[in-house]
Amino acid sequence: MSSLSLFDIPSLFQYQFFVLALIGGTLAAIVSSWIGLFLILRKESMLVDGVAHTAFGGVALGLFIGIDPILGALVVSAVSVYGITYMRRKGLAQSDSAIAVMLAIGFSLGIIIISMANGFNVELLSYLFGSILTMSYNDVIVLSVLTLGAIGFLVFFYKEMLALTFDEDGAHMQGIPVQGMTMAFNLLVAVTIALSIKVIGIILVVALMVLPGLTALQLHRSFKSTLVASSLFGIFATIMGIILSALFNVATSGVIVFTAAGVFLFVAAYQRLA
Amino acid sequence: MEPIIEVQELVVKRGPSEVISEASFVIERGDYVGIMGPNGGGKTTLVLALLGMLPKEKGSIRIMGEDIESFDQWDKVGYVSQYAINFDSHFPLTVRELVGLGRVNRKNLGRFRKKEDWKAVDEALEAMNITNLARKRIGQLSGGQRQRAFVAKSLVSKPELLMLDEPVTDLDPVSRERFFKRLSNLNQMKGLTILIVSHDLTAIFCRMSRVLCVNKQVHSAAITEETVPDDILRKGYGDHFHFVFHRELCKGVFVDEQS
Repeated sequence: MSSLSLFDIPSLFQYQFFVLALIGGTLAAIVSSWIGLFLILRKESMLVDGVAHTAFGGVALGLFIGIDPILGALVVSAVSVYGITYMRRKGLAQSDSAIAVMLAIGFSLGIIIISMANGFNVELLSYLFGSILTMSYNDVIVLSVLTLGAIGFLVFFYKEMLALTFDEDGAHMQGIPVQGMTMAFNLLVAVTIALSIKVIGIILVVALMVLPGLTALQLHRSFKSTLVASSLFGIFATIMGIILSALFNVATSGVIVFTAAGVFLFVAAYQRLA
Repeated sequence: MEPIIEVQELVVKRGPSEVISEASFVIERGDYVGIMGPNGGGKTTLVLALLGMLPKEKGSIRIMGEDIESFDQWDKVGYVSQYAINFDSHFPLTVRELVGLGRVNRKNLGRFRKKEDWKAVDEALEAMNITNLARKRIGQLSGGQRQRAFVAKSLVSKPELLMLDEPVTDLDPVSRERFFKRLSNLNQMKGLTILIVSHDLTAIFCRMSRVLCVNKQVHSAAITEETVPDDILRKGYGDHFHFVFHRELCKGVFVDEQS
């Protein structure tokens, strides 16, 4: 397929797959950037990478037993994130070691299943690197419902999440149910990772969750402004990534991450030079 | 006077060792209490036990007339930990947002903030004279401004009891004096009961109404004109301790509120 020109952009909107990709990508970008900002501030960015790689086992399991691979990824991600939290809380392992252990277990599960199945390697690749242009109506509906759920949680418990992200002990003392809130947030992390896999793939999901928040933090604004800026950067990178990848006929997930990284570098440089 | 904290034969352990041993004392409503003692003597442990954040091995703690196990009015207790100001200075939070966090508690879980919440925030900012810093990010504040912002956060729920753990460690003498003066005003004008862990003996003996000297055991004494600090201090620090006390120095470093 040859590359398109800028004048071809309006014509892309005639294609349903393109519109669905934009809607799905925007929804994933909003929820990923919000959850990602909290993770950055909790110093748990690498949790995303670990859990996403663990989700590889879930995708393989889903393909193997014939259920939606994203559902498989969701279940395994949730088990993984709670496993990591449990190991940390009980002192079985430090944060980075706990992530490494769960990543290895999840990935090993995937490799074992692939070797047993002998047949879905190509399909598996689409989950490793994302396949946003193959989004269906159903995918977008599921993404919309879960995005609304995640945003609803963060809007209703905004002040509690901010309090415990800033000072967990202080939040506990103020009577905030820290453990319950953390468990709910961890579930959101697992859901967000599982949903973002379709958009950007297992390997690059950490970028979609971390880069927008990191970019917004360069602006040195209030928390509310940072949260809004984070979602705007996420949406911009995703939409631009989808359009540019269509124009130049290259991998969408890679272009989304490159755009997000480019925006981060630009904003960081501007803030230091201005 | 009505007791706000009653402690009877309290024993607190950290690991296998007893950090607080058989402590009994009473803090009355409106008291301004200095908690002092040697490093490792158990000051922070005592404060954490009074906040219900450390389990007690033996004895009883009653807060506002209620046993600590059943006490649920923690919004009436403000607390600034010694680690509170050591936050990540890149955290994107303005002073107003920080102070607003003091209004978050179990009772308003999942509820949107109301006008009265922000009014309380503005009052707390005013009480600590940091209204002009409301929009500043907390990472941009000086040490003294940080302390005031955190005290404002603990004041915003309109507590009846305020506990501060070594809040003046990093402050220069002028900022420290100014800080203690503000707390004195809150104590005298609003009747707020204040417990403050500090090594500033001048501030304790000149400004406060009671002292707790903590060195595994807790020695409590009211501070009056007749108080001989040596008697209290030697119980905590040992017999070699001698407090050189000049009445005229009791005024400390004077700073006016506007400067």
